[in-house]
Order: sequence, then structure tokens, then C-alpha cells
Amino acid sequence: MSFYSPVITNAAEVARSESLHLFRYVEDPDQYKVETFEKHGGYEAWKKVVTSMKPDQVIAEVKNSGLRGRGGAGFPTGMKWGFVPKDSPKARYLICNADESEPGTCKDRVIMERDPHAVIEGMAIGAFAIGCHRMFIYIRGEFGHCIERMEGAVKEAYTRGHLGKNVYGSGYDLDMVVHSGGGAYICGEETALLNSLEGEKGLSRIRPPFPAIAGLYASPTIVNNVETLAAVPHIINRGADWYKTMGTEKSAGSKIFSLSGHVKRPGNYEVPLGFSLKTLIYDEKYGAGIRDGKKLKAVIPGGASTPFLTPDMVDVGLDYESLQSVGSMLGSGAIIVLDEDTCIVWTIMKLIHFFRHESCGKCTPCREGTGWLEQLVTRIEHGEGRPGDIDKIDDLCGNILGRTICPLGDAAVMPIQSAIKLFRDEWQYHIDHKKCPCPNNHEFK
Amino acid sequence: MATDAKTDTAAPARPATVTLTIDGQEVTVPKGTTVLEAALGMGIQIPTFCWHPKLKSVGACRMCYVEIEKMPKLAVSCATEAVDGMVVHTDSDLVKRGRKAIIEFILANHPLDCPTCDKGGECDLQNLTYRHGIDDSRFDFMKMRFTEGAERTTFDDVRIGPEIVLNRNRCILCYKCVRANKEAFGEYDLGAFERGNITEINAAPGREVENPFSGNLVQICPVGALTNSDWRYKIRVWLTKQARSICPFTGSGANTLLWKEDHQQKIFRCTARRNDDIDDGWIADVTRYGYQYVMAEDRLQTPLVKKDGKQVKASWDEALALVAKRLREVDDNKGNVCIGGLIAPHLDNKSLYAFNKFMRVTIGANNVDHRLDYPMLPTDGNSAFSILASRPFTIADIDTSDVIVSFASDMLKEHPNEYLRMRKASFFRQAKIYTIDPYAVKNSDIASLDVVYTPGADEAVINALCLAAAEDQMVDAARIKGLKEKLSHKSAADAAKAAGVDLDEIKVIARALANGKKITFMAGELLARSSFREAAAAALANLNRLFDIDSRGQMARLARFSNSRGAEKLGLSPFPAPAVKKELEAAFGSWPASDALTADKMLVQMNKEAINAAIVIGANPIMLYPDREFAREALEKLDFLVVCDSFETATTSLADVVLPLASFAEYTGDYINMEGRTQTAEAAIKPRFQSKPAYEIVSLIAQALEKPLFKSDVDCGTEMAKILAADHVLPWPSGYLEVAGEPVATSEEYPIPLFVGDDPHHSGHLTEKANSLLNFRGEAYAEMSAELAASLDVRNGDSVRVESPVGKVIVPVRISDWIDTPVVFIPRNFSSTPVTSLLMRKERVNRVKITKVAD
Repeated sequence: MSFYSPVITNAAEVARSESLHLFRYVEDPDQYKVETFEKHGGYEAWKKVVTSMKPDQVIAEVKNSGLRGRGGAGFPTGMKWGFVPKDSPKARYLICNADESEPGTCKDRVIMERDPHAVIEGMAIGAFAIGCHRMFIYIRGEFGHCIERMEGAVKEAYTRGHLGKNVYGSGYDLDMVVHSGGGAYICGEETALLNSLEGEKGLSRIRPPFPAIAGLYASPTIVNNVETLAAVPHIINRGADWYKTMGTEKSAGSKIFSLSGHVKRPGNYEVPLGFSLKTLIYDEKYGAGIRDGKKLKAVIPGGASTPFLTPDMVDVGLDYESLQSVGSMLGSGAIIVLDEDTCIVWTIMKLIHFFRHESCGKCTPCREGTGWLEQLVTRIEHGEGRPGDIDKIDDLCGNILGRTICPLGDAAVMPIQSAIKLFRDEWQYHIDHKKCPCPNNHEFK
Repeated sequence: MATDAKTDTAAPARPATVTLTIDGQEVTVPKGTTVLEAALGMGIQIPTFCWHPKLKSVGACRMCYVEIEKMPKLAVSCATEAVDGMVVHTDSDLVKRGRKAIIEFILANHPLDCPTCDKGGECDLQNLTYRHGIDDSRFDFMKMRFTEGAERTTFDDVRIGPEIVLNRNRCILCYKCVRANKEAFGEYDLGAFERGNITEINAAPGREVENPFSGNLVQICPVGALTNSDWRYKIRVWLTKQARSICPFTGSGANTLLWKEDHQQKIFRCTARRNDDIDDGWIADVTRYGYQYVMAEDRLQTPLVKKDGKQVKASWDEALALVAKRLREVDDNKGNVCIGGLIAPHLDNKSLYAFNKFMRVTIGANNVDHRLDYPMLPTDGNSAFSILASRPFTIADIDTSDVIVSFASDMLKEHPNEYLRMRKASFFRQAKIYTIDPYAVKNSDIASLDVVYTPGADEAVINALCLAAAEDQMVDAARIKGLKEKLSHKSAADAAKAAGVDLDEIKVIARALANGKKITFMAGELLARSSFREAAAAALANLNRLFDIDSRGQMARLARFSNSRGAEKLGLSPFPAPAVKKELEAAFGSWPASDALTADKMLVQMNKEAINAAIVIGANPIMLYPDREFAREALEKLDFLVVCDSFETATTSLADVVLPLASFAEYTGDYINMEGRTQTAEAAIKPRFQSKPAYEIVSLIAQALEKPLFKSDVDCGTEMAKILAADHVLPWPSGYLEVAGEPVATSEEYPIPLFVGDDPHHSGHLTEKANSLLNFRGEAYAEMSAELAASLDVRNGDSVRVESPVGKVIVPVRISDWIDTPVVFIPRNFSSTPVTSLLMRKERVNRVKITKVAD
């Protein structure tokens, strides 16, 4: 059985590169098999770690590399691992967060489908670093192929002795559980993921306690993104200093960007952090420019929850700091490109519908606010907006931002606030003319 | 072991504290306190919806925002731990704006049907809206409306249980009901379904919300989403007043409020009045709805006297004169020792004391007892069981125990408050729970081990625990000395075999008892009701001695009724504790020389016609004594029987004179709970019809006999105070006691052990007059395991015939979620099913055969 999701990648370029690594073998149709993975140097880092390194050394190496979480928050991975209390009598758990459901993001899926052992190897190293003997991967329920691939890979890894009792004779036991989610965006939020994994409803938990202290089954738990963990074996193999040769001073390494929207070549591209957004959109090797000869209108640079960029802002480096300096975020690296025919209000309506639908319903501002916002935005898009609606939306967003248990509330309102700030005239047009000005929105014409 | 010893000897660490500033005032609180708790402790009001002092904080409603300096965002104070040096503002402009926004969000889809909502006037949302909200709404869409299916029901209400009605439109999703159900009660009949703004609270699919604590869900609902039939549409809350009362149905004396209306002289509901030492603010439904018997239609209205074999209405004067005349006749013809007195242990101190004095002074006989539902009571005052029953107990100490054992006790049915305490210790502190019972009980679900022993082998299982500890040297050798010789079981394996339990499990529990830092060991009614209770009580005395439980916790048989402990402390039994007896003698000035008779012995003597007259107050021995025929025959043989009760019962039907008794809610009285804590239940209304409190009735009879009990009320109070001050606790025996384990007989014809007790929604004979409780459970049933039901070829609800050698009843089957051995439980609370007619007082284990009733 071989399966490919039809996604364009820059695997060939990565293979030629000295340092890019995540996508090196993703176009190899046999890479998902353990033999092929081993042939390409797979599991060497894990073997090295478990037979010759101490957990502290692993954590130090990852800390030195400057690797930061690729799920969206960008928290330094080594530092996170270091938070696990050394003296806790409880079991510790490592969980790979593969509940990739941010609209526009599809990078983890490619890794899991085509290079599942890379994830297992990264998880194993992380597990060893924190003293975990049972690790979990929580895969988005809709990713049927990923679940099949991961389950197959885990089975192979056990057969080849990469997992199980006394791995490589090191005396270290490591088990892995593949868990399929139930189809909720909120379960990508780590505390909701923990509830879901425990068999509860996927509602986010209040922090503190942070998962590193009391997470799964109230035990110290580390939750890492797929891409983060997939990078770990390379850091072990080639060293922290090598990893730092890529990217910027504060944002080291490479990252996969999921480029989608109105570009000619949407796809997953691995580039060093700090790479120019403009190049990614316009270069022939990547996005190859806006399709149908249209002009660029806006870019969502980091997944559906990040503020918009306007064309004058796209000459920016794709790293945590640069995007922050222009008022947006790197997020999960899902770049959504919108052309001149796209209505911003329509886009926001689609986004807020998503967030309203995915709000877990636990805390008041997000539960009630997203519903109200959806009603208001929909009304405006349908030409039924009332004077004052824009300010009302802006004010409601302010009442949600920073007031919720988990970041879903923030995620829902940040793009709205930026859309109002950057495109207020267009919102006003809807209200004044009682219609949507853009021809691209087929649904409501 | 080594590490245990180390922690034991280490000096106890001083509880750490933190100091912070709230609204300019400095405050020092224990580490781990939340900002909210710290503020509330200072008297600073912080509004909340989802916070509950007895549940985990979830920070869902976001109403309790505070501003903390150096924190970038508003913090939810319910989930923010106070830290040294924190500077908190609870009333800044930012905080006000934040809270106002929350109110606005909540009100967006709230129906604002306050005029028709029963919560109006005591609604958190209403109150906080007036305090923080605006009088206009920016929400200009149609409000969301939940309706049932396509059909819109009246006011969009749906009934989700026998008592509870849900209105999801009003629900603000604080999740308190679901959380309390899970965290405090361990019940899962209510849940939150769907997601986001269409989340709804509802009964679990295919189930009703009918757990024995479900009334609490209504009380903690901050809005009118959960209401109960008891209160709905009957009265507005501001028209009522409250009387502070006490639960009259259980031994812990949970604190309650009775909501009354003075002009109508009516009680409208009963709610919890939180007392952390006793109830934590949770009360069982039997407490919440049981008060309804006070307002029942069929209360006894006037005295009744028997004329020509029929009871007819009479005046108090007529009835009292008759009582005096007949008692005098018996006294004159047969002697005062031929008069017996039985009183229910749910009456107040004054009534109990007055009756005690009446029997021992006015009548001059030693025949007085309150223990009416126990067969074969010990006939001396220093039995092991009396000792066990007198031992002190503190309810709140269950919380902090790390090893909790319940023995021979169906805690949910007998002691609902302590049942919740066990769950609390398990859920919040991960205490080790062990249940040791003759059938699996409800809280076996939180038990580290639930040991089910052969019914009747109570002493064998305790002997097994003792012997296991002795054999494996779990305790000091010095303690073990002298134990084994006293026990009839030769080894732990022997005893375990006799009890039908796994020795390895017994060893685990023994080890827990040996190593536990703080132990609570509770024995219950399944032990107390056994006619062979003495052997097991002796084994428990040995257990206490061997493990030295008293030095690390508590061991007691829990008092079952609301004033059982008061009755003991007031010497209302044939054998009062020595110190109590001394005070009684001083107060009475005399002490009857006659033999002391227990309730059980009195019935024996009645059957022998050695007792010819009896006064029964508030009790229904025919219904509750575990041998109905024996009790009925005994009472029938009496020359004269006077019964005081609030209703006509099986016992009043035999009486020559029936006197209407006032209920707990109709006069102010003191009650002593299982801990020995005296609490007052205030009168809510005047005695209904012509009923009178027991102490008044007793005084009137004494007056009619021309021997007044007290010169004044003050005298009564002074006498009682001295007696209550006496120490009624009996010391443990000074050595190990003989425990002769006897093999449990079996029977081929009657193979199934029968247990009779209270339904979780009922207690004694009065609760069947409470309509709400009947809605939960209105008839008796045979509770059994699914396997037993399958072997009988019956399903839930099918009728079965339950027969013992002396009687039979026909009841529907109820498949138990926890019983997993071939035993059957039948509740005794329903007069339509006289289940005690199956029991024989001398049997160690009552056995029955069960057959299916053909359709």
C-alpha cells in the first residue's frame, strides 16, 4: 500500500540542500517503511541517545539548538523538557500533538503520512529526555491515513526493536500508543488534548498547573508538535551548532510552511526560518505568484488565528520576531494568500464560523462571544449590517481577547481585529451599500 | 517501611503562609489559598457563577476577574493561587469592564423570563446583573431557544428526573451541576452535551437524573435552569421566611433551612445550610424532600380512642384521662414493671429525657429503649457492641484520613453524609478506601479493594484481618501477644476461608491499617442489625487493640438516627453508661429496682404477657422490627397500648389510644448527632391540627397520673444539662476478647440471603408520606445482581415472589449496578410491602427463595 496526499513539496530542493532535513526523503515512496527509513540513517540518533547519552545531555543539546515549538506558540523545546520535575514519583508522559486542524495547516499530515518513523524517533528521544516510558501520539480523527501509517510504523518499530522492552539492550523500556481524536479543533490545545486523551470531554483546563507539572493523569507531561519532534533526531545527529546555522539568531532551524490560497503553486515548503515571505509567495520554486494575474490583497501568515498582512508588509522574514514586529505571528506556518477579488468580510465570516463551531463552550467570553460575532459578521456580509456594527464587533473582540481559558478565544478575534484595522473601508462599504463588493464570493451572490 | 518511619519521626512542617495585598489591605493566608478565597476571607465580595467552595475551580464563567499588578491580563481569582507580594485590585475600572462584559455575554442568549422563573429573587445572575450590568442590551438578534424535538413544551421546560425540571434557555453553562455530580457525588446521570454555544446540560442518554443527591444540583444552580417540582410555581422566595433546622432522618444531623410562610403556616421547601463540620453543604434527597411529611394531607388530627373495637375521634382531655386510668389499672393489678416504653430515636432531647423520667420515675420501671429495629439486643451494659456504639466519632476527620474502611455498612443507604465524605477523601485527597461488606455496596466504585464476605461471617472476616497482621508481623510483637489464643480461627487462612474472602486482599487491608497515618474505621447497620453482632463487635475491639487505631484515628459504629446519640447520652436505654446513670439517679432521686429490659426483651415479655401495657412514641415497631409477626403478636397481647405518631400506621391500628404527635418542624428541639454535637432545629410552623410535641404529651400523661414530671421548663433544662455533661463513652476492654466464629448455616430450600434496610431515598416509616421521595421510589423492590436475575429468568421490573419460612412478599426486580453476589436487598420503607414479615429475629442470616411470578 502506498499513499500520497497530493501536496506539492520542495523535497528535491531540500535533498540538494546542505542543511534542510525534514523533507529530505518525503518524496521517496518507500520512506514510510522502516527498512527504507533505517537505510536513510533513521533511528541512529535514537540508538545513540538511549545507549550513550544521559537525559540531561539530550535536553542540553536541544536547548542549545534553539529549537522552538512548531505548533504555533514557539516555546523553546529544550526549556519545556527541562520543566519536568526530576524528583516526581509519578510516571511522566510525552505526547505528540498531531491534532493538526488549524485551517490552512497541513504540514504534520505530510510528515506522518510519508515519514512516520521520523516522528517516532523524535518522540522516543523526547521521551528519554524526560524519563517517560509510555508515550502517546494524539492524531486528528479525520486523518485516517495518518493513523494507519502511524499504527503500521509503530508496529514495525516494535518488531525492529526500536520500541518495547529494553530497547537496544539499554535497559530502557519504551511503549507507544497511537490515539485517534474525535474531530475537535480544540483538542489541538494541549490541555483539552489531555482531557480528551483521558476520555473526558475535550474542554481546555485552567493553568496552572502546567502540564509539565500535572498533565495527563495529573502526572508530569510534555506535549510537542509533530514537526518539532521530527526535527529532534537531526539535531542529535548533526549537533546543535549545525542546527543554528539555519534561521536567525532567535529563530533557529528550518520550518515547513503550508502555502495555500490564491497562489499558482500551493504546497508545503521547508525553508530556513527568516526566509522572505515575498520570495515564498512569488518565487517560481515556491508559490510562483498570484494566480490568474491578480494582485495580492492580504496574507494570513500563520494559520487562521493570526492577524492579516497587507501587500506592503509582505517583505518580511518568516521568523517569530520579524512577524511579531509587523503585528502578526508565525503561528503554525500556514500562509493563506488572498487575491484582490476576495472579500475580507467574507473571509472573516468563514473564519468566525469555524471558531464559533469549534469553541469548546467552557468559558463564557469565547462561547457566547464567537456566536455573537458570527451573527454580526454574517449580517454585514449579507448586506444587512447596521451602523455601529463595526465598532460593536471591535469592542466585543476586546472583551474576548486575553479573557479566556485557552488561546482559542484570542485566535478567533485577532484576525477580526486586524481585518477591521486594515480594511475598515471595506467593512463600511458593506454597511453603507448593503452589499458585498467582491465578485469572488460565489455563495451569496 | 523505612521511608514511612522517617516521615513519621520528622518534625511536622509549619504550614507555609503567603502575604499579599488585596485592595490596599495586607493579608496572610495559608499557601495554596486562591486569591478569591483570600478576598472572601477578608469580607471582600467577588462575584462568581461557576465557583463552588467544595468543587475544583475551573475558571469557566470568568466573572471573578481581578487585576493583579505585573500580570498582563485580567486574572480569574478562583483559579489564581495567592503568592507572596501579589498586589490585587478587585474593583478597578478594568475589572468592572471585564465583569460587565461577562454579564453582557451571558445575557445575550438568556431569556430574561424572571417574572415566571422560580429563581427570581434569589438568582445569582439577576443579582449580579443589577450590580454590574447595563439595563439595555447590545444583542439585537433572536435569542437561541432550546426546545424538545420539534415540539415546544410549556416554557421550554423538560423533565429530566422524577423531581428535576430543566430549562436550557436559562442555563449559563457554569457546569456546577455536572461537576458536583461527578466530583462530590460520583454520579454520572447528568452531562454536558454538544459544544460551544449550543452546549447543553441534559440527562445522560436513556437515563433520568435520580441520584440520591440530585436535589443539591437544583440548589447550586445559579439561575433557574434546574428547578424541582417541590418548589416550582408555588411561592415567590421573598414571601418566605426561613427556620434553621436539622435533618431528622440520618445520624449526622445535616443542617437545613425550612422555607416557610407564616400566614398559611406552610413549609415550602428544605435546603442545605452549609456546615463544613457536618455536611459540606450537600444534603441527601431524603433530607431535602423528607420534610414533606410534615405537610402531608393525612396527618393524624385528633386523639383517637378505641370504643367497641373501633378507633374514634376524642378530645385530648378524654384521651389523657383514659390513658391515666388504664395505666393505673395495670399498675395496680399487675405492677409497674408490666408497663413498657418505646420511643423513636429521631425525637428531640427534651422529649427523650421527659420520657426517660416518665418511665423511670412516674411509672417506676426500667423498661425504656429507643433501639426498635434491632433484634436480640445485648442484655448487659458492657457488651462489646455497646462499647463500639459509644465510641466518639468526628465526621470531618473522614476528610483527612488516608485509610478509610467501611465495614458491614451500606453507607449510601444508612449514612449519606459520611458516604459523601468518603468520596471526597477519595476524589480530592486520593485516600485509600476499603469496603468490607456482605454484599457489594455503591461506594465500592471508589474502593481500592471491595471485599465481599459470606453473609453472616462478620467476625470471621475481622478475625482474618487480625490474624493476617499477626502472622505477617505487621504490628509490634508486643501487641500481637495474647491475641491468637482468643480466636477460634486458627490462622488467617482459616478465617479468610470461613469468611469466603481472598487472603491476599485481607493482607492488603491489614497492611493499610498497620501503616495508615490516619485511619477512619466505620461499622454500620449491617452489623448492628445482625442478631450475632456481639461476636463481630468483639472482633472489632480486638482489631482496634491490635492496630491501635484509636491512636491514629477513629473507629466507631455510626449512630443511625438523628438523635440516637442523644438517646444514649440521656440514658434512654436499659443500661446507660455508668457516668450517665449516676447523673440520672441524682436527677431522679431514685432508680427502679426492676430488671432492665431492652426493646427486644420488652417484645418478648409482651409475648409472654409479662408486660401488659405499653407506651410507644413516634415509633412503628410492627413495620420496622425485624420480625413483623413477633412484634405484632406482642403488641396484640397487650391489655393497653398507647401510641403517639403523626400518621396512622400498622402500630397505631392496634392501639387503644392514639395521640397525634407533632413533627420536628413544629417545635424547637435539640438533637445530638453521631459526633455528640448538640444542634437545634427551630420550629418552622405551629403544630398542625391538634398534634403536640412528645415531651408535652409525656408531661400531660404524667399530670393526668397526678405525678408532674417537672416543676418548670427550667428544671428540665438544668437536669438535662448535667446528664449531657456526663461522659457516656465506654472504654475499650483491657485485653483481647474471645471471638468464637461459628460456621454460617446454609439452606437448600432457602438459598438466598436477604438484607432489609432503607432505600437511598427513604428512611424509616415517615418518608413514604413525602410525595417527592415517592416520585423517586414509590414501592419496594428486590435488588439483586444481574446474574441472579438471569438465573431466575427475570428482568428489571418483573415481579418475583420472595419467600422465607415465615412469610412472603411479591415485589418487582431491580437489577443492581453493584451487587454481584447472590443476595437480595428489599427496602423496608413501604407499608404496602411488609418485608419485615420475612425476617426471624433469632436468625443470623435470613434466607429466602425467589421465584418468578408468571405474567
